[in-house]
Amino acid sequence: MKFETKAIHGACEPDPVTGATTYPIYQTASFEYETAQEHSDVFHGRKFGHQYSRVTNPTVTSFESRINLLSNGLGTICTSSGMSAISTALMALTGAGDHIITGKTLFGGTHYLFRHVLENFGVEFSIVASTDVSAYENAIRPNTKAIFLETIGNPKLDVPNLKAISDIAKKHNIPLVVDCTTVTPYLLDAKTIGIDIIVLSTTKYLCGSGTTVGGSITDLGNYDWKNAKSDKIKELTKKLGEMAFLGRARRQIQSNIGSIMAPMNAFIAALGLDTLSLRMEKHCQNALELAQFFAHHPKVKSVAYPGLPTHPDHAIAKAQFGNRFGGLITIRVGSKKNAYHVIDETKLARTLVNIGDTKTLVAHPQSTIYRDFTLDEAGELGAHEDAIRISVGLEHIDDLKADFDQALQGI
Amino acid sequence: MQLSINGEKKLIEKDHLTITELLTIQEVKMPEMVTVEHNGDILDRASFDTTSVGDGDEIEFLYFMGGGQ
Repeated sequence: MKFETKAIHGACEPDPVTGATTYPIYQTASFEYETAQEHSDVFHGRKFGHQYSRVTNPTVTSFESRINLLSNGLGTICTSSGMSAISTALMALTGAGDHIITGKTLFGGTHYLFRHVLENFGVEFSIVASTDVSAYENAIRPNTKAIFLETIGNPKLDVPNLKAISDIAKKHNIPLVVDCTTVTPYLLDAKTIGIDIIVLSTTKYLCGSGTTVGGSITDLGNYDWKNAKSDKIKELTKKLGEMAFLGRARRQIQSNIGSIMAPMNAFIAALGLDTLSLRMEKHCQNALELAQFFAHHPKVKSVAYPGLPTHPDHAIAKAQFGNRFGGLITIRVGSKKNAYHVIDETKLARTLVNIGDTKTLVAHPQSTIYRDFTLDEAGELGAHEDAIRISVGLEHIDDLKADFDQALQGI
Repeated sequence: MQLSINGEKKLIEKDHLTITELLTIQEVKMPEMVTVEHNGDILDRASFDTTSVGDGDEIEFLYFMGGGQ
């Protein structure tokens, strides 16, 4: 089955009780069992069932199964947000005294997670240039337990060679975790590339409507956990075999921290999967056309978009994402004042920090997401003072061009 | 044949079964999410179609509880 068909029909059988074709919302904290033995079997994992919605919930499990199918995964866990997906995955893989290598161009929140949380609990990390393949290998230490990066660095919009980095991770038996939010499983066949774990902010393109915060972790089944460097996961393989990482993430980390996806959120976000392929095609088409428009606009100093042949990572992006390049563009307009002017004067584009919405969104990353970075640090991440990040929506392209043109004319 | 499934003795009206067939006969829910232990060995999912169970074997099912295919 092709992606588009799986997105509509895969892992979503009608509700067996009512025949409802959209999986219902099970808005309940807990689940009753007829006997103490049955209840105990569910708690021990010997029998399939739900015990308490802090651990699992049928509506969330349904959404997890659909994401898993679209990712060709071994198993998927949904979380309360994209950040909780990243933190849960990295906490499952590491502990105090361990080391993570991360690409530099990360979402600001992920940087803060490394600096303010993981480091505080004794996890060391090295930051390398996201697109410098050899830098990942050079940063490996005996205690390196994970390599983490994003598919398209945001807001710099650089594109690492995922296959080459995956080869290095495999050579050194280190799990490769990739945040695929900006491309989704529709644009990236992460399993074939050799990525071990993908994380998504389902808030963005998967949900699509900008209504619902959520995240997911998918084990793609590429990593042999029996030979894992993590002792805790290795120990779990004696009980859970290939499911050891998922078991660690769900049963030992997430359920005890409590970073769960609410059933209502799973229901709403799952609705977005039906149209994900259509929306991604349109996001990519609009973004390419808008980037070409900016590239010829006299008021725009520079445009970062991987779909432009002038982009340094264009060839890699073209091969990795099937000649589509995502819906994000970053432009520079000469000064912070100019950037604020354009943001303030656009009529259709909404000023807010989110991406992947049907609506076009604009933000000034340096003074919002990257506010705690020095100007030099922010600039290295693409968050220059004069930069505007644009999440291109699904409006008619002529209207978007006209909106940005009238805003740019005023600077 | 008689099997021990999750510590419970069960009579199965066949002499041999693959793990995949056993999951079907036992109506195991969400079989794509279950880990199977056969006589103390954790099986890879790829071997479910080829691993045969026989009289007296001990089987354990264990779920990590998340979404599978």
